[in-house]
Amino acid sequence: MGNWQRLVWNQRDALLAGLGVTVEVCAIAFLAAVIGGLGLCLVRIHVAPLRWMSVVLIEFFRDTPIFVQLMWVSYVWPEVFGFPGSFFTAGWLALALQSSGYLAETFRAGIEGVPRGQREAAFSAGMSPTQTFRRIVAPQVALASAPSIVNQFTVIVKSSTLISVITVPDLMSQSQRLVNIWYEPIEILTATAAIYILVVFLVSLIGKSLADRLRRRYGLAAS
Amino acid sequence: MSEGLKQALDLSLFWEYRLVLLQGLLFNVLVFLCAAALALCVGLGAALLRVNRRFPARCLGTLHVELFRNAPDYIMLDWVHFVLPLIIGMVIRRRVEFHPFASAVIALGCVYSGYFAETFRAGIEAIPRGNIDAGRAFGMPERTILRRITLPQVVRRMLPEALNQFVSLFKATTIVSLIAVPDLMYNVSMVTQQEMRPLPLYTGAALAYFLIIFVFASGVRAFTERWRRKIGA
Repeated sequence: MGNWQRLVWNQRDALLAGLGVTVEVCAIAFLAAVIGGLGLCLVRIHVAPLRWMSVVLIEFFRDTPIFVQLMWVSYVWPEVFGFPGSFFTAGWLALALQSSGYLAETFRAGIEGVPRGQREAAFSAGMSPTQTFRRIVAPQVALASAPSIVNQFTVIVKSSTLISVITVPDLMSQSQRLVNIWYEPIEILTATAAIYILVVFLVSLIGKSLADRLRRRYGLAAS
Repeated sequence: MSEGLKQALDLSLFWEYRLVLLQGLLFNVLVFLCAAALALCVGLGAALLRVNRRFPARCLGTLHVELFRNAPDYIMLDWVHFVLPLIIGMVIRRRVEFHPFASAVIALGCVYSGYFAETFRAGIEAIPRGNIDAGRAFGMPERTILRRITLPQVVRRMLPEALNQFVSLFKATTIVSLIAVPDLMYNVSMVTQQEMRPLPLYTGAALAYFLIIFVFASGVRAFTERWRRKIGA
């Protein structure tokens, strides 16, 4: 047990700081992914001239492995597009891009699941297209896709371990730094794995119960 | 910007190293095949534990699934490569080291066995109870029931879901470069260090993976739709 105290408990500040960075990156990436996914999906459905572009983007984001995308965004984009300026930005951006592709498809399925008649009813009641989207379509899409959104968030947390490769000081990279100081990986890596598993477990547990409560409250059966 | 773009899209460097890179891709495929086989076997075992009548067995199955489904691939990869050999070494009192390839297969196989276990379980639980009872009434031994009644139906039901997980597993094989399995990404970073020109190489790698996975995933999607219609689910 002495080793655990020396290698893990005494290093709790570094590990907690790393966990903080992980949480920050995941939160930013998740918000960006929801916004990006919604944008991609709306362009795909409603903006006919740009439809092909959003389809290509969605497919590219979904079908490229996250690690490859991460390296691509952090080493190629700065030269080609002039941003992202830091590895931190590159990290959340790559995570957000991949998830936005998946979320766009989730949202599309949700929007297409809203019966046509409801939209027509809203129009004939005098609602504008924006109002119809905000009051009739969006709430139903949010309810229908809540479980997939929660799932996507856990995917982001899991993939975020990879940003340690581009030297963002997240939990994974802090624990690797500690391993490289003492070359005693057993305690640190086990503790890190346990923290990640616990975090992902809690996120999916809380997320699922929130989604279920929302759906029950607004009259959709729990999944 | 246009200079950078031109460089990024100039794939002649990628072409020049095609043999090395193809060799790398071969490793991706090998890791994928071995890990998929491991994940299927372990996943089936865990699923059978989860539908077992005995409570401790069910607990064990649930623990397996929750542990591996919630673990990030990368930390599992590091853990299997750096910690597991030390623990095994302490038990058998001998120095143990894992080949990176073995670590990659074990780690990815274990993580994905958690996902496969859930897919198998959903398939098993969807089988009407009467089917199994009928098998018992005919005097079939449990193993024959599993082989001739349960598994064929489970496979039919879970095939689309399992194919999607195979696609995810193939994507996950890109991270094995981080423990020095010489896969495509590993060779790309080696060549990058030699040539100091990351733009065309990383762009080429992204495009290559995209093409492979896009073809694979589109095939799966088309197949899934036809399959669902055929079995009427």
